[in-house]
Amino acid sequence: MHLHLTKFLLTKTLRLVLLVAAVASLSFVLVSRSPIDPVDAYVGAAIMKISPEQREMIRERWGLDQPPLARFARWAAQLARGDLGVSTIFNEPVTSVIAKRFITSLWLMALAWSFSGLLGFVLGLIAGAREDSPADRLIRLYAYTMAATPTFWVGMMLLMVFSVYLGWTPVCCAWPPGLSIEQATLGQRLHHLLLPALTLSLIGVAQITLHTRQKTVEAMHSDYAIFARAQGESTLGIVCRQVLRNVALPAVTLQFASLGELFGGAVLAEQVFSYPGLGRATVEAGIRGDVPLLLGIVLFSTVFVFTGNTVADLLYRLVDPRMGEGQGGTA
Amino acid sequence: MQTFRFVTVMSFPRKRESREIFGFRVALCFPGMTSGSPIRMIICMGLCVLLLAAGCGRQQQQSHPLPASLTLAVGGENPEGYDPTLGWGSYGNPLFHSTLLRRDADLNIVPDLATTWQLAADRLTWTVTIRPDVVFADGSPLTARDVAYTFNTAAVAGGVLDLANLEKAEALDDITVQLRLKQPDITFIHYLITLGIVPERLHGPGYGRRPVGSGPYKLVRWDEGQQMVVEANPYYYGVQPAIKRLIFLFSGEDAALAAARAGKVDVLSVPSSLATREIPGMKLHVVKSVDNRGLMFPCLPDTGAKTPHGLAVGNDVTADVAIRRAVNLTINRQALVNGVLEGFGRPAYGPVDDLPWDNPAIRFKDNDTEKAGILLTEAGWLDVDGDGVREKDGIKAEFPIVYNATDSLRQGLALAVSDMLRPVGIRAVPRGENWDRIKNELVHSTVVVFGFGGHSPLEMYKLFHSPGPEPSYWNGGFYTNGVVDGYLDQARAAASFADSIPLWQKAQWDGQTGFAVAGDAPWAWLVNLNHTYFINQCLDVGRSQMEPHGHGWPITANINEWQWTCE
Repeated sequence: MHLHLTKFLLTKTLRLVLLVAAVASLSFVLVSRSPIDPVDAYVGAAIMKISPEQREMIRERWGLDQPPLARFARWAAQLARGDLGVSTIFNEPVTSVIAKRFITSLWLMALAWSFSGLLGFVLGLIAGAREDSPADRLIRLYAYTMAATPTFWVGMMLLMVFSVYLGWTPVCCAWPPGLSIEQATLGQRLHHLLLPALTLSLIGVAQITLHTRQKTVEAMHSDYAIFARAQGESTLGIVCRQVLRNVALPAVTLQFASLGELFGGAVLAEQVFSYPGLGRATVEAGIRGDVPLLLGIVLFSTVFVFTGNTVADLLYRLVDPRMGEGQGGTA
Repeated sequence: MQTFRFVTVMSFPRKRESREIFGFRVALCFPGMTSGSPIRMIICMGLCVLLLAAGCGRQQQQSHPLPASLTLAVGGENPEGYDPTLGWGSYGNPLFHSTLLRRDADLNIVPDLATTWQLAADRLTWTVTIRPDVVFADGSPLTARDVAYTFNTAAVAGGVLDLANLEKAEALDDITVQLRLKQPDITFIHYLITLGIVPERLHGPGYGRRPVGSGPYKLVRWDEGQQMVVEANPYYYGVQPAIKRLIFLFSGEDAALAAARAGKVDVLSVPSSLATREIPGMKLHVVKSVDNRGLMFPCLPDTGAKTPHGLAVGNDVTADVAIRRAVNLTINRQALVNGVLEGFGRPAYGPVDDLPWDNPAIRFKDNDTEKAGILLTEAGWLDVDGDGVREKDGIKAEFPIVYNATDSLRQGLALAVSDMLRPVGIRAVPRGENWDRIKNELVHSTVVVFGFGGHSPLEMYKLFHSPGPEPSYWNGGFYTNGVVDGYLDQARAAASFADSIPLWQKAQWDGQTGFAVAGDAPWAWLVNLNHTYFINQCLDVGRSQMEPHGHGWPITANINEWQWTCE
């Protein structure tokens, strides 16, 4: 079992390294082909005061005076030492930009992630256990609608209704203006998180609901469920004793695998709610051509999503004894 | 066994959540205590801390019912930090820093840190003496060495300040600094006005995130992407600001407007399209600006010539000065102000309207289709085929007007101008493009809607002096007039700023020639915007300076004079 686990982790690590290398090269090619001139974006309105020589100086400061291949080599060498370089728009190390922003995003993502997971699972169970009942139809309608709705639109609708018309929730920021993060109470921070997190969860719920519902329906029609029913077990009893166990595993896997979507959704939600997290930094890095920061964020999200998927795989092994021992180390 | 594992799975997400949310909070308060401690203890401690914090926070809010601080949503976040040597403060004021000189409400040059400033007869050496009593916000003295350091550092920092003309800055003693230039250039005085002085001792990487200067305010905290809190600097040598604490919100425009409606913002910059609305508790404050918009004409004919980077140069229609003048005469500028700017602006006749170096003689009567028609007919532009568009030598009087597609104001101007030109037989086709395409393909061969306007005549020089081979936005129309070049060069080389003013004015129109409409008309200037702000009814913001291009932050130029008027 331990040997298997070690082998499993080694394989995973190797894959991660390969993945990071591939993602890094691909993203570098993509961003270096981008038509955005970072110097233009940086200079902005001061364009009339900047001579071509000064532009060269800015390019030199950022290392843009070198050909793309040399830049990539230098960047890769830095990366190997764990240094992601210096963000051009923030003029500070990429690692510290990401660290600062990710802490803010983490609150949002953690809340949305747990909320959508729990709610989605419960809704899926209810819908699946009472297939074709009005409750099932309602839940399905909701899930299909949400699955087809863009995050930013939901965000804007919620913002208009709850923040602008009703004034129940704040319109921006991660805590009240004028207070420091230490002064802001947990209540205030949650209050500011509420709408962005709700936006993210409402969308995230759809996938896990539909998935769980499908699995529940299958389980409800399985031989063991029919047998239990023949023995006089109630629907609730079947769900609790037979179905739950079989459905939980795929749901947990899906939930961990959904970290990628969560990350993507956070970018949009943060944009709509002026929530100063990693998502907004990503957008700024993109539109202003901050290559080191953009690459740093891409790599960071790669590792983040990969970790999520690995945790899902590990959970499978830990939870289902058939997987860890029966088969070999590769999953 | 199976049951046990199952339970683990079910409770896993919840446990994770607790650790992430509460654990993080604790990690913030007591770094290092989370590792190795039992999770339950951490959660308990976290909860205690949170409850305490919750109690404190609420109490604190209740004890300050009066507005102890002023909340502004006027932009001003500088993502790379507040380092003047990289260009912070070159628009508006550096707030945390003071400058050698400054411009007063009428844009006259007045002393700030400096007591005397003199340009030597060789026009290369500035000698500036500074006040002896000035200290930075940390209490350390500001000497001539700090000034010299600031200028020398800015010259090589590679930011948005172009100090390439600076040979060297040197401190002669504690209060005297000498700035030596490579070439005579009176517009260098602009850096004496805008470059905030940094302390040599504290400056270095990361300075922009914890700036220390000698300005009226000091940075207290900056939550990036969200807000900035500043407080009055007790060591400031000038008049102490009446408002001791300012909060700058950096949320988007929509969020700021919503916050203002909720009564959370005291100063809000809004585009003119929103200025006609009402916000309870706020009044409209309109500031005149030289933030202009105009059409740049390619002045060379299209001979197939290209710049070294391969951009097409020239346009056969706009190369004819009669077309350029006719466009200028036809446009009804007041109608543009009323229709496109909602009345918040004034007609623009030149690039520097109402600035000290503006030449009032360049004004002319516009909305004159009759005169434009005669001019075009005399120049040989006639509508022979009767399609409503004039022709000359087989070329139709037709050109595109290109504007940045994301800017609705420029779009509005382009559409309105196109409509105004139709009756005189000129067909202008508005077309939205992105800046990259404009800069990398179109700038030298099509008419482009540009916006400029700054507090230095250097901009005028760049716009109208004969261009280099690859000018980009510096005279992208390739306008050339030897007489104008002469005036511009003389103005730059003048012995004092006052001496340069008549020369700047002559470059516009000297009675014979110039870049005004009566002369070569290489541009059709359209409008100067008014910058619109909503401010708290109880706030007096004094008399605002005429603002440069850039709406928002410049309003803070006189912020230490602002006062609450209600009790």
